[in-house]
Amino acid sequence: MYSSLILIPFFSVIVLNLPFRTLMKKSAFWVCIALSLIQIFAVLFSPTGSLGNLTEMFFSFLRVDLWIDNLSRIMLLCIGIVLFTAAWVQKELSKDEERQFNFMNVLLLLLAGLNGIVLVRDIFSLYVFLEITAVSSFILIGFNKERDAFEAAFKYIILSVIATALMLTSIGLLLMIAGDTSFATISATLKTSPDKLLAMFAVAIFLCAAFIKGGVMPFHGWLPDAYSASPASVSVILAGVVTKTVGVYTLIRIVYSVFGYSPALTLILLIVGTLSVVLGALAALGQSDFKRMLAYSSISQVGYIVLGLATGSMLGLAGAVFHLFNHSIFKSLLFVNSAAVESSTGTRNMDNLAGLAKKMPVTGTTSILASLSCAGIPPLAGFWSKLLIIVALWMGKFYAFAIIAALASILTLAYFLSLQRRVFFGKLREDLAHIKESGFGFLLSMTILALITIGAGLGFPFILNSFLLPVKTISGG
Amino acid sequence: MSGEITHIFWSFGLFIVMLFVIGLYCVLMTYNLVRALIGLEILIKGVTLLIIVAGYVSGHIALAQSLVITLIVIEVVVMTVAVGIVFGIRHYNESLDTRAIEKLKG
Repeated sequence: MYSSLILIPFFSVIVLNLPFRTLMKKSAFWVCIALSLIQIFAVLFSPTGSLGNLTEMFFSFLRVDLWIDNLSRIMLLCIGIVLFTAAWVQKELSKDEERQFNFMNVLLLLLAGLNGIVLVRDIFSLYVFLEITAVSSFILIGFNKERDAFEAAFKYIILSVIATALMLTSIGLLLMIAGDTSFATISATLKTSPDKLLAMFAVAIFLCAAFIKGGVMPFHGWLPDAYSASPASVSVILAGVVTKTVGVYTLIRIVYSVFGYSPALTLILLIVGTLSVVLGALAALGQSDFKRMLAYSSISQVGYIVLGLATGSMLGLAGAVFHLFNHSIFKSLLFVNSAAVESSTGTRNMDNLAGLAKKMPVTGTTSILASLSCAGIPPLAGFWSKLLIIVALWMGKFYAFAIIAALASILTLAYFLSLQRRVFFGKLREDLAHIKESGFGFLLSMTILALITIGAGLGFPFILNSFLLPVKTISGG
Repeated sequence: MSGEITHIFWSFGLFIVMLFVIGLYCVLMTYNLVRALIGLEILIKGVTLLIIVAGYVSGHIALAQSLVITLIVIEVVVMTVAVGIVFGIRHYNESLDTRAIEKLKG
């Protein structure tokens, strides 16, 4: 049934465009919403993996080799939620029917690509879906045909293609060593490989590619530009799911299920993670553009996920996956907030804003919740995932890294307090006296995301036992 | 690996490395947007050759061929979008010089 999550978006693009294009124009948005809702419900209410025998029979002849475990399930959930909110934000931002129709079509392609990445278990199919996602995101970044957006998209293309070339080189070498491209065969071959040096080289360049795609600190060049220059709804998707699925999920999946841990790999992950956590937070402190600060904050939070993955323990992995989920939710929420502020006031420069909390109560409140969750204040969801990661680092005897990770939380709090003070608190500027709270689409998505953040924090014991610890069911093939 | 296959691997390996170096040099040294894309193409061509050789050496040439055909199709799609973006940049800058792209920093 899960292959239908890839196929239905593709079919809907065809159906929307081919026969009745003019008639279908209005319905594109609702198709998008419906598909994301179907995805959320399919994940939440069919943990055993049987939605209905009818669809299963219908799609069985098209079956790609897919697998599903709790990690995939959590990613599918994130993708559904974030696409739902992004579609609402886009509906609010653009009233032009034609442009909205085009946007929703690309969004559906992106959905198919993201679901594909999460579901495949073959390293070459992984590459195919990575490229589908990447191409859709290039188009989406440049969607408004603005000068900055083109510039950001070009930077992203160059780095993404280089990452792809590295990844393909790795695939080629693995094909030579293992004779096949499925995760299971590669994993089995790497355990008993005679060509140790070649295998290590392949693993190293694959890691580099995943780091570039995920925008981790030494490889982050394209990320702040792409996040800040793209249209508001696209920033939500990019920060919420695209880099997380393309970079971080791939990293977790490949390291955990295919390559396996070795001391050198652990060290690389620890160093890269720590660099991202600290330097991302320091760079965020110096920004005055709302979205650019969030982008650097995103780099810093991805560092935590990499640190959790580096421990290699059950606890660390559960923390990493939970932080991945939380980060998708609260960073999308913050980007929706920035979109609301930008659409109301017309600027993203935080020095020109002040005291918006009085005029935009929902935006102000939800952004405080998201910031506190991101900074790791109990009982919000971000606290629990950071706690899991730091405890796992400590138990894995990486004391120095645990201390740095804990101290970097203070930096996170520092830049978010600075953001809140400059945008939402203080005295309202006179030229902003006329602004109103943003529209329904914004309010809906902000409320939903904020409720999820609070709910995941309060219901943490339940989530830990039912969703996160079963992450250990990730199998080695 | 038998003698002949080792020989093939290393002689093709030389070409693959050369294509890689030429492609990377082109991307890093040029100030022209289109030339940067050409450099990327050369880079990907090196990888394509590597996959073919990998398939031959490991005895899975059919698998490698299907992978390479998929790869070529996808790469063309990526390059089409990239050229579209370059068109957009040229519309604003009236030139293809990368040094004119400097608005996003810091």
